[in-house]
Amino acid sequence: MASKMTTGLVGLAVEAYPQKKLKILYENILKTVSAMPSSAVYRKYTETLASQRLKDIKETPDLVQLEEKWGAGQLEEVIEQAKSELTLARKMNKWKPWEPLVTAPPPGQWDWP
Amino acid sequence: MSSLVGRSVGSLKNVPIKPIMSANPTEARRRVLTLYKQWYRAVPKIITTFKLPYTKERLQNRIREEFLKNSHIRDVRAIDMLVIKGEMDLQETLLKWKQECHMKELFQHETAIRQPTDFLGKFFSQK
Amino acid sequence: MFLVRSCTRLARSRASYCAQSHLLKDGTKLNSFSKSDYSSDVTPPTDQIPAVRASSSIVRQKLLEFGDYVAECLPKYVQQVQLTYTNELEVMIDPEYIIPVITFLRDNTLCQFTNLSDLTAVDVPTRPCRFEIVYNFLSIPYNQRIRVKTYTNELTALDSICEVHPGANWYEREVWDMYGVFFRNHPDLRRILTDYGFDGHPFRKDFPLTGYYEIRFDDEQQRIVRDPVELAQEFRKFDLSSPWEVFPNYRQTPELPSPPEVSSEEEKK
Repeated sequence: MASKMTTGLVGLAVEAYPQKKLKILYENILKTVSAMPSSAVYRKYTETLASQRLKDIKETPDLVQLEEKWGAGQLEEVIEQAKSELTLARKMNKWKPWEPLVTAPPPGQWDWP
Repeated sequence: MSSLVGRSVGSLKNVPIKPIMSANPTEARRRVLTLYKQWYRAVPKIITTFKLPYTKERLQNRIREEFLKNSHIRDVRAIDMLVIKGEMDLQETLLKWKQECHMKELFQHETAIRQPTDFLGKFFSQK
Repeated sequence: MFLVRSCTRLARSRASYCAQSHLLKDGTKLNSFSKSDYSSDVTPPTDQIPAVRASSSIVRQKLLEFGDYVAECLPKYVQQVQLTYTNELEVMIDPEYIIPVITFLRDNTLCQFTNLSDLTAVDVPTRPCRFEIVYNFLSIPYNQRIRVKTYTNELTALDSICEVHPGANWYEREVWDMYGVFFRNHPDLRRILTDYGFDGHPFRKDFPLTGYYEIRFDDEQQRIVRDPVELAQEFRKFDLSSPWEVFPNYRQTPELPSPPEVSSEEEKK
């Protein structure tokens, strides 16, 4: 039995087992991110966030408490955020944005005349 | 479009140059020819859809003139830009987003009433 | 009056929502927004005290930290991060890599700039690349805005961001129509504001204010005619300071010449 009847948001269905789904997503994010070099700042922040959230899921079984702890909206919204984070992490592996700046701006480009 | 003509943008100021569509002049030339053929083939349809009081040959010549107007441009990117604009123009024409008046503007310079340029002529013509 | 009361109520419920939220509570300090950032600095509004905006030094600090976060995550693309004097965060990026930056800003949990509020261009002819393309984003969960800027010229194509933000479709058409900046991979790039057969791009600085043609209804011919613009008077150059409001940081008021001194003899007369 789900904890609520509706999320109150159009197009966002109530998730029966949000913690289970979030756990899979965050573990996947951690796995994807681990392919990046350890000096990459994105990897550092995402790992911190994902492992913290995994820890919270383990510690707090109550859904409402978990939502309050994160303050990022309902768990269904958090799932959406985690999904986009996962696709982003996969794209980041291809783009390699932790490399140094490719092209410097032409001199005087950002100066106001 | 006038700002494109006779200026190779970027080469002066240390800006890297990247192609828009064509990598070399041959490719750009092929694009121009393709576009010209498309316009040329569309002529009978244009005449019937817009009810133009001109012969096929006359419209063909007019289109040719429009192409030759830019024949001095050598910058590949400028050519690409003009081809893109020409394609959009053709789309507007064939899908009849344009109206008769827009097509007749092509011939306006031939039928326009010549405004007097001398002093007295200007004086007499003013309202 | 009712409106004011409801606004206060809205602000209050917002503050209580902020107080509940924590992003990362343990020792790790995250250089980004979290909803709890402002809660300790802001006086909770009551019926007597309306909601007060956080003092600007806090906002500045948070925005700078967030700008650093974006720059550190994407050092390959970000050329410069700056804060305007009205506390707006601006990220200057490499024009080749618009899509990665904007996808990062949209998808990252700590950014979530899911709303494209505006996309436009600025023409500055003296710069090496004359057009500056400006993207404004809004992050709804964090209630923050960011401005992404990049540059191009008349003959360099940019990547269209329609895949990332479908709402950019018409904005890019407008920029194409008004400035002549070509967007690669745009689903439907064509004119949006100008008339069919219109030549040129009206928002360019080298486009005359009067345009090239004037359209009027001619009584004699009983139809609309299009004439080349002919100004009765030669264009006059006024040596006044700009009539538009320029950015105060860059505002340079020309020093007016001191009025000619009136000799004492003339005064007597």
